[in-house]
Parts: sequence; structure tokens; C-alpha cells
Amino acid sequence: MPTFYYLILSFVLFLIGTTGVLLRRNALVVLMGIELQLNAGNLAMLTYSRALGDEKGHVFAFLIIALAAAEAAVGLAILVGLFRNRQTINLDEANLMKR
Amino acid sequence: MADVAGTPGGNLGGANVSDLLAPLASGEGVVFLILALGVVAMSVVCMTRRNPVSAVMSLVATFFGLAGLYATLSAHFLAVLQVLVYAGAIMVLFIFVVMIVNREESTLVSLRGIPTRLLGVFAGVYMIRVFAGIAIPAQAPGPLPALSDSFGTVASVGDMLFRQDLFPFEAISLLLLVAIVGGVVVSRSARKESDAVIAADKRIAISHLSSHDSPAELSEVEETSAAAGGHH
Repeated sequence: MPTFYYLILSFVLFLIGTTGVLLRRNALVVLMGIELQLNAGNLAMLTYSRALGDEKGHVFAFLIIALAAAEAAVGLAILVGLFRNRQTINLDEANLMKR
Repeated sequence: MADVAGTPGGNLGGANVSDLLAPLASGEGVVFLILALGVVAMSVVCMTRRNPVSAVMSLVATFFGLAGLYATLSAHFLAVLQVLVYAGAIMVLFIFVVMIVNREESTLVSLRGIPTRLLGVFAGVYMIRVFAGIAIPAQAPGPLPALSDSFGTVASVGDMLFRQDLFPFEAISLLLLVAIVGGVVVSRSARKESDAVIAADKRIAISHLSSHDSPAELSEVEETSAAAGGHH
């Protein structure tokens, strides 16, 4: 399969993730959008790795997966803390630092 | 229109559209199409559900489809990792949090701050234009390079990880440690913690009480545990 199909798919996934992050107000769905973006990046890494015959992209993808795990752990902990303090996970209502 | 942000081949005219679409007719192309359509459909479903549980479930489906796509790119190790870490560990974490904070949303999308969103739309359109210049080749793509048998296996990726990229590997392990500690610190409850300290003081006082059974020490222990704020 030619490389650009995978690249276009990666870009479409990234766009879907970005749209979710920007438009949705549920903090859980926003975190899922970030996971989608990271996966789109991974797909591009592996695509170029295949196109160039170089395994460096696999190492990068491995590190990105570990990073995504760390991000999800801290992000969800913050979400639980927010819910405990404000009884909401709506990001428009999370404005404690504004006032 | 001639040159998009300095990227060569920004125009679609270089390659024949039928040349670009021809590979989809092969067996590989059909597998790619099925996986790609499934992934895109499931990610759209994930981003548009009101119920967080169905959003998480469609995200799991997305990750399985992506694992299949990784396998078609000869990234076998990463395909397995995708299923184990993403569809397994991270999604279980999401499910747990959904169980803690299961709130239905009243509004699906928020449209506060229209001018900023419009700016975002323009930025997105520009991004699409630039990306098209990078991804769509100027001429029909040539064959991909031949790969060795070990490409993308655990052995060869691990070899590269531990020989050439040992420092990033160790750095990411430190990052994971920080994330673990950070997760505990952020999500703990201060009130429950002070309650636990008081309870521990009480237990220590009671164990003192049982080991030294003289009346003088008993009153002393009672004083200290009363100072710690516990009830008897």
C-alpha cells in the first residue's frame, strides 16, 4: 500500500480528535480526543518507518505509547480531583483559577 | 496557489488520480479500506456520544482497528503493544473513571467563544492545505523498500531500544514514575488522609494501653490521644 493512504488516514484521525478536544465540554471525552491525536501521530510514525525501512519510528511509537499512559493516568487523576471539588466534569464550569 | 508554505508538490495536478487510486483494488487495499473505514467511523462515534461508556467502547474498537493497521505496516511488536497497553490498560482506567464520575451531558457541544473557534477553523483549513502538499505525492508512488524478516519484531525493536536509545528509554521510565506519584498526589483526599492519621494515632495509643497496664501511663496515653482529636 502506498504511504499517502496511511498519512491521509492519520490526518483524518488527528482532525477528528482535535474537533472533539475543541468542541466537547466533557473532560472525559476531551481526554479521549487527546488519545486519538496521539494515535494518529503513532500511525504517521509507523508509516514513515515502513516507507523508509528504518525502525527508528517504532522506538518513537513505543515512547509515545508510554507517554500516553502517563498522560492518561495524571489527566484522569486531575478529573477525579475536579469532580470531588466541584461535582462536575464540564470544562466550562472548571473556572476556579479565573476568579 | 503555486506553492503552499514552501512545500514541494502542493498541487494535485502532478499525479494522475487513477494512478493514486489503483492500489486500492488489490487484496491489501481492501484490507486497508475495511480497517480505515472502521477506524474513522468508530472514532467519529467516540467523539459524538453523549454516554461516556459507549464513547469508551467505540474508542476500544478504534484502537483494535489501529492495531490491525500497524500489523499491515509490519509493526508486529507495536500492534501487540497497542492492544495490550491502549485497549487493555488505558481503557480500563477510563472505564473506572467513568464509573466514578458518570454524568450525562446536558449539551453535546459548547459554542462559547465563536471568534476563537472561527480562528481555529481557518487554522484547520490552512493545516489541511499544507498537509495535502506533504502527503499527496507529485507522481505515482514507487514500490516500498524490501524489508528484512526481523523488521518490527520484538527482537529488533528491543535491540534498537536498548543499544541506541537507552537514554530515552530510561527517561520515559522516570516519566512513568513521576506520573504514578503525581496521580496519587492529585487524586488523594485531604480529609480522608487526616482521618487516617487520627485513626493511626488512636491505634498506637490503644496498643500502648494494652502493653503497659499501669494507671499512670494510662492517663498519659489518654491525654495524648485526646490531643490528637480522637474520641474514646
